[in-house]
Amino acid sequence: MSHLQSIMVQKSDDDKMHQLSSNLIMAVSGEAGDTTQFAEYIAKNIQLYKMRNGYELTPSAAVHFTRHTLATHLRSREPYFVNLLMGGFDPDSNTSELYYMDYLAASVPVKYYAFGYGGMFTLAVMDKDYRPNMNVDEAYELLKKCANEIKRRFIINLPKFRVRVISKDGIKELPYVVAEGEAA
Amino acid sequence: MPDFSEIFSLQSILNYNGGCVVAMRGKNCVAIACDLRFGVQAQTISTDFERVFEVGPHLYIGLPGLATDTQTVFQRLQFRIKMYEMREGRRVKPRTLMAMVQNLLYERRFGPYFVEPVIAGLHPTTKEPYICALDLIGCECEPEDFVVSGTCSESLYGMCETTWREDMEPDDLFECISQSLVNAFDRDALSGWGAVVHVIEQDKVTTRYLKCRQD
Amino acid sequence: MDSLEDIHTGFQFSNFARNETLVAKGFPMPKSRKTGTTIAGVVFKDGVVLGADTRATEGDIIADKNCSKIHYLQPNMYCCGAGTAADLVMTTQLMASQLELHRLNTGRQVPVVAANRMLKQMLFRYQGYIGAALVLGGVDKHGSHIYSIHPHGSTDRLPYTTMGSGSLAAMSVFEVHWKPDLELEEAKQLVRDAIAGGIFNDLGSGSNVDLCIITKDGATMLRPYDVANVKGQRQGKYIYKTGTTDILSTSVRPIQIVSETVRKVGEEEMETA
Repeated sequence: MSHLQSIMVQKSDDDKMHQLSSNLIMAVSGEAGDTTQFAEYIAKNIQLYKMRNGYELTPSAAVHFTRHTLATHLRSREPYFVNLLMGGFDPDSNTSELYYMDYLAASVPVKYYAFGYGGMFTLAVMDKDYRPNMNVDEAYELLKKCANEIKRRFIINLPKFRVRVISKDGIKELPYVVAEGEAA
Repeated sequence: MPDFSEIFSLQSILNYNGGCVVAMRGKNCVAIACDLRFGVQAQTISTDFERVFEVGPHLYIGLPGLATDTQTVFQRLQFRIKMYEMREGRRVKPRTLMAMVQNLLYERRFGPYFVEPVIAGLHPTTKEPYICALDLIGCECEPEDFVVSGTCSESLYGMCETTWREDMEPDDLFECISQSLVNAFDRDALSGWGAVVHVIEQDKVTTRYLKCRQD
Repeated sequence: MDSLEDIHTGFQFSNFARNETLVAKGFPMPKSRKTGTTIAGVVFKDGVVLGADTRATEGDIIADKNCSKIHYLQPNMYCCGAGTAADLVMTTQLMASQLELHRLNTGRQVPVVAANRMLKQMLFRYQGYIGAALVLGGVDKHGSHIYSIHPHGSTDRLPYTTMGSGSLAAMSVFEVHWKPDLELEEAKQLVRDAIAGGIFNDLGSGSNVDLCIITKDGATMLRPYDVANVKGQRQGKYIYKTGTTDILSTSVRPIQIVSETVRKVGEEEMETA
């Protein structure tokens, strides 16, 4: 939840996730202005699609649209520098989906991922402890472990993490994950 | 993102995501195979990224290279194939597909897509085996034996050059292409983590997922 | 924002800015396939002989050991190419179709000068960025002609010429042995020797010698004319027994033929509507 600029924490309650529809969330990282601008553009267009057609895009369709938009802008004079994760639940097929997408517009379905420096520490934790059939509490515990690892090993202070769950019941906010343990 | 440029000395953007494809001709059959890794330089992100796509009942195309262009080129190609099939009322033949890919890539001669495609298929009527590789601006190469492409193409050349024989039956062709691919990418840090092999015969296509090293 | 696939003609530059950004980030542009190449052509008594090696390289890797570098333009005209392989293929394909249209429009055989002029004008227009170095050869009502065409669009009409990285080796052979009004067999041997000079003395050239003989009666491709490098027999047998590879899963998708109709046609029919 920290918004950093150089070595300064500018904001400690930043929300890096954008709700795209009732069962779809996009978490963005990358260049400061681009992230918000791009996420809002995608979010509003997905809303527009819903209004025009009377139904929502499935997560995979939304990812295709996002990839196409990012790929098109990549070839313009001012490309977006945005890495993102899109998580969604498809009520029709009753499946939960998570997609990786980098600033080059390569999109891949993944089980878990973390962008940026945090990924250096947390991917190994998730490689070890992730199981495909975890329930919400277990997943939450895993995120806690990741946060603790960042606190222990990473020189930069990233104390709080926002957590949202996307399921058949829609999007639900969980308590912040606050890193515990000895700091680096 | 961390900068691996010094470790990997940034060879080429074609090696950014890793991955390789190989195709071989057999007796009345062809095989095409790829690895399954998707990474960003040294970091492996996914191990179920297929870069060989079906574009017809007897026709496959592999698009190793920069992953975003693998996806973009495949989508653009699919568009052109579907337009062709609607206009002409028939399926594309292997050589037609090659010409299509060639035009798609050469159109961007001065700002290329970073993919080096491999095509494998059987002619829909004569059932003649066809293999072909193109470079990133669309120069085709249609040899008699095998084609390779991707981050471990040099190892693949070596493996295929020693293991390929004329007139292999489908089962022999499968072993030959699988062992060539697996042993080649086991010497490459940027590809591997699983492989898929399609053996295309007149009456069926057999797809096999291989057990591979996970390091 | 452009739609997914607008109808465009000519080159597209949509990836250019992105690729420049990647170069700025320190990713060098990948190499495209080159034909290091030795190509040559001579005029002999009754026509012309064109020759080429068959090696294509990508950096220091041999991408194709037996590629064809003598391209068709017209029944009385062929063209050897050296340089960027894709440029050669696409340029000669384009020229072949434009020359064919020219032939149909004028109703006569296209003279070699016309092909030379069209090629040089195209290459000059692209300021050398289309990396094609050509040896154009043909026979028409004016006689037998060899032209060498450089990537920037300059051309020379010559009795004998060479191009590509092996051109110096090949030219040295021509300079010693060429004489006016060669017989066919002499000309074939001379071009073979010139190409072989490139194959054995230039690292960018290799494998076989291809020849194309054009006389007033038409063209004959000799591919290969001479296998300068015979591949040795494999001593060991590298056969993997069925079952060597560990398989995680197999799926077989049969291709069922619902119906089959066979329609016999002689020549491929052409849409004339």
